[in-house]
Amino acid sequence: MVQPRDDFIISIRSALLKRGARQKFSLLFLICFSFLIFILDSYSLKFMNTTRTVLNDAVYRASSMASTPLRIVNFLSSKTNEHFTLYGKYKKMEKTLSELEIKNLDVKFLQLENNKFKKIIGSNEESNSVNVLATVIVDKDSPFVKSVIINKGSNSNILKGMPVLHRNYLIGRIVEVNYLSSRVLLLNDLNSRIPVIIEPEGYQAILSGKGSRQPFLAYLPEVYAKETGSDIYTSGKDGIFPSGIPIGSTILDGEFYSVKLSADPTQLSVVSVIVKKSKFKREDAE
Amino acid sequence: MTIHYLILKKKILTITPLLLLYFFSFTDFDTVFINYLKFFYFNIQLIIIYYWVLKNPSILGYGHVFFAGIINDVVIGLPLGTTSLSYLVLSFVASYTREHFLRSQLISDWFAFLPAIFFSNLIYLILIIKFSDFEISYAELIQNSFFTFLFFPIFYQFFYFIEKNTNIKTDA
Repeated sequence: MVQPRDDFIISIRSALLKRGARQKFSLLFLICFSFLIFILDSYSLKFMNTTRTVLNDAVYRASSMASTPLRIVNFLSSKTNEHFTLYGKYKKMEKTLSELEIKNLDVKFLQLENNKFKKIIGSNEESNSVNVLATVIVDKDSPFVKSVIINKGSNSNILKGMPVLHRNYLIGRIVEVNYLSSRVLLLNDLNSRIPVIIEPEGYQAILSGKGSRQPFLAYLPEVYAKETGSDIYTSGKDGIFPSGIPIGSTILDGEFYSVKLSADPTQLSVVSVIVKKSKFKREDAE
Repeated sequence: MTIHYLILKKKILTITPLLLLYFFSFTDFDTVFINYLKFFYFNIQLIIIYYWVLKNPSILGYGHVFFAGIINDVVIGLPLGTTSLSYLVLSFVASYTREHFLRSQLISDWFAFLPAIFFSNLIYLILIIKFSDFEISYAELIQNSFFTFLFFPIFYQFFYFIEKNTNIKTDA
């Protein structure tokens, strides 16, 4: 009667402690060691932060090199696909171009009018930021974390929280900075929350990621009329992001309002980070 | 010449699981997969670790499992040790299954994979929810686990072919 229990204990003990001829560590030792590393990393101790930064830079570079063949295959596949859909795209773009040419005239008129009004109210809006271009070196699209790694870090004055753009559209923000690389948390990640403004209605909301391709609008006012196609911009209410960065447009997704992002988060190769000019000026003075 | 070829072939096949494990941990291979087979997204590292710890731990050491987890944490951006612990728990269940059940067959190994995935993901979830600020989608985790379980027999056959050709005796 006692034998099955003994077998169970022997099997567990053997699984945890036994080492084969080629095993250098027992399972129990590695489990304890992993847990220790996890605790140290979670409490963000200073020496652990330095270790993590060095490890991040090294692994990102290695990962970038190891992913090169896959990236080439991906590139060739997308180029072939583009080639076959070229005619359809050309026709569509021709139509869009004629529409945009008409709109462009309106924009020019509005710009002139805007400059005139700025002169009247004495507004002096000189940009106090510069765009730092960076290349995406790792784009591991995990189902749980939506982020990319770029090849610029604290050596290029990048700081946590800075907005990241792709073709002038917001794609995310910096959440981790190493010396030679940084991690960008994309807008569709579950952990992403950005205050936005819906135009032309002017309503405020929070753009929240939900893990899928399109983030959704949370904390919408109750009076919000159900409309799709409204443009979404950063509101700048958080004091971190500048206001007016375009993000996308609203679409109705069941009961929620999702946002169709203008920059596809799965097609990022070169991005720009908005870095405050003061950082550069301070360095020049030094 | 033929002997050299056979030795080389055997050596390459012997390190294939290790190379595959590191390759999937290092690269953004998932992106390629996710673009074409988004719905069927699964965790191939879990299958590699489970199979080789169960069948032939001399090919895939626990140290490598630990390092693959650390690399995966760095690439994904999770706290260090999260994936390592999850992989090592999977290795523990596989190792226990090997010690406890002497006969190994596809069906029995496949069904023993279910509690292995469960405990592995349970540890992963607990660590992320309780000790970090990350939010994860339960639906995607369940979907991912289901397809990992479902695709196991396909990779089982592939790894069985490698194992048969390497012909290395189990030392555990």
